[in-house]
Amino acid sequence: MMRELILNTQLSQRFNRETLARTVGACIMPLIILGLSVVFGVLEPRFFTGQNLGNILVQSSFLIVLAVGQMFSLIVRGFDLSVGQLISMVSVASALVMAHLASTMPEAPFLAVAVGLGAGLAIGVAAGLINGLNIAVLEVHPFVATLGMLGICQGIASTISGGFPVFDVPDVLARAFLHNRIFGIPLPVATAILVCVVAAFVLNRTVFGRMLYLVGSNPRASVTAGIPAKRVLVGAFVTCSLITAIAALMLTARTGSGEPLMGGGLMLQSIAAAVIGGVSLRGGEGRVLHCVIGGIFITMLSNGMNMVRVEGYFQMIVLGVVVITGVFLDRLRKR
Amino acid sequence: MTSNGIWHKALNALGRVGLLPLLVLFALILLSLVEPRFLRQANLINVLRGTGFLVLIACGQMLVLIVGGFDLSVGAVVALSSVVSALTMAGLGADGAMSVWTIIAFGFAAGIGAGLVVGLLNGLCVTYLKVSPFMVTLGTMSIAAGVALYISAGAPVYGLPEEFTRIFGRYRFADLPIIVYTAAAAAAVLWLMMNKTVFGLYVYAIGGDPAAARNSGVSASAVLISCYAICGMLAGLTGLLLTARIGSGEATLGSTLMLESIAASVIGGVSLRGGVGRVENVVLGALILVLVTNAMNLMRVDSKIQTIVIGIVLILAVAVDAWRQRIRGRRAA
Repeated sequence: MMRELILNTQLSQRFNRETLARTVGACIMPLIILGLSVVFGVLEPRFFTGQNLGNILVQSSFLIVLAVGQMFSLIVRGFDLSVGQLISMVSVASALVMAHLASTMPEAPFLAVAVGLGAGLAIGVAAGLINGLNIAVLEVHPFVATLGMLGICQGIASTISGGFPVFDVPDVLARAFLHNRIFGIPLPVATAILVCVVAAFVLNRTVFGRMLYLVGSNPRASVTAGIPAKRVLVGAFVTCSLITAIAALMLTARTGSGEPLMGGGLMLQSIAAAVIGGVSLRGGEGRVLHCVIGGIFITMLSNGMNMVRVEGYFQMIVLGVVVITGVFLDRLRKR
Repeated sequence: MTSNGIWHKALNALGRVGLLPLLVLFALILLSLVEPRFLRQANLINVLRGTGFLVLIACGQMLVLIVGGFDLSVGAVVALSSVVSALTMAGLGADGAMSVWTIIAFGFAAGIGAGLVVGLLNGLCVTYLKVSPFMVTLGTMSIAAGVALYISAGAPVYGLPEEFTRIFGRYRFADLPIIVYTAAAAAAVLWLMMNKTVFGLYVYAIGGDPAAARNSGVSASAVLISCYAICGMLAGLTGLLLTARIGSGEATLGSTLMLESIAASVIGGVSLRGGVGRVENVVLGALILVLVTNAMNLMRVDSKIQTIVIGIVLILAVAVDAWRQRIRGRRAA
């Protein structure tokens, strides 16, 4: 009886400490976000206006979607360096399709937009398939496979656009995307929420999602356990590119034109957002919530620095320090 | 039977040497047959100069890759070194009190010093904060690029001593520019270090199996930090020589060098998982990358299409290497 009691209390103590550590750990990033927003708010009262907070939410929705895509490749111990240039390629290609269809049949702009969006998604899937097959079947390291894809996408984007932005995209796209609201939520945010919910469902409730974590945390054991690891790898990279294509279409709708230089710095931002939020670069770990936190954090940081008029070049220095500190704090949490 | 034996010997030799030298030889012969302009002296010097810059920076990258790291910051370090050294030299040269050689010496110290600082920062963060090299160097890349742009206000820095550009940028000894000798010397020193010293042994040991290396008494932290420091200094040196070539300090210099240095290393057979890599193959990898670009330039391939071709070449080179190793592994087993 006594012994059981002692065992029980020991167990509950250990349990308590673990829960405590986990709760503190989970709160670090939200606390940092909160503290940072107080600092910005004190320095510049306009930071807390409803309009600015709404802006941050809309701006971060793009980065959140990108980070969710990147997370799929990170979970299986890869990363995708091609996302930035894939965005440029999808943006230009879908804009060209829309512009062409809109000029041949001006009476049906919605059809043109729909076909253009479909083409963009198809291109994303194709790029992801090539990445995945190179990595899973030819056993090329993800870094090299996606680095090669980066060059290919960049070349195609600048070749088919001739290096210039593609205008002539039907206005309905930008108008519908920027001015419509669903239940009072701006469309970019609604899209991001939809992507997050579907991604979370896939990761937590489907066999494919659970297999992703297994393959990422222990590839050899997953093969031994009879999981089709190669197919799962291909699936991860296809999902990553598909979600990236969605982000690219969102960005294209925002600017209302296809931009061959759109993706430039977004690759590093997508990895930074995911990893700062808590997705592990060692694979096997990552949740949609991490990407949401990381995406909001990075967007809020640059928004706040703009508000308090930090010089653009100096912002790069701050961002670098923040990336390293953020990942370091995350490491502390896991120890 | 005998033909079978010869075939086996050939395959074994191929397995030992690798495809790389053959590929370079093949490319050289093909290029000189198809494109006579390739063999002109001016073009060959161009190829060697381009290879020199890439070898210098890829040598450092290789060192970091072998210890199981990554250095994404090398391109930004090239820009930082360019701006810092140019500002130093222009500032010291403004009043004309110092001799030109002292100014140049200070410029070199500043450029390489900047690389050393970033390299040390990388190494310290990786070893003591235990943050993954990818994220650390991603951070320092942003910091170094930001500092370079900030202190130069985004504009080119002029006012370099004339001797600096004349000697380190344009002077030729026996028809070859200084960068070729510098790169050759750096590669030779690194080869000696990796193959004939204890340090090289430690580098391979830590990259191959960090835990085992630590258990056998290797001071992993010191070796890791030195690798990042050397990589930073080599990037700083590359920045200096590029500055001399261009004639001004530029904060936009070297933006492509990060990916190119990793590509050259990987084509040269350096494993991204650490523990594997040889200097001589990295030199060949850099040469192949420059040769492909040069060939496309000579054949007037559109620069936009060139990036597509480089991407395909990169994937193919590594895929073939992975396939070769699988076959060797199967034969050994």
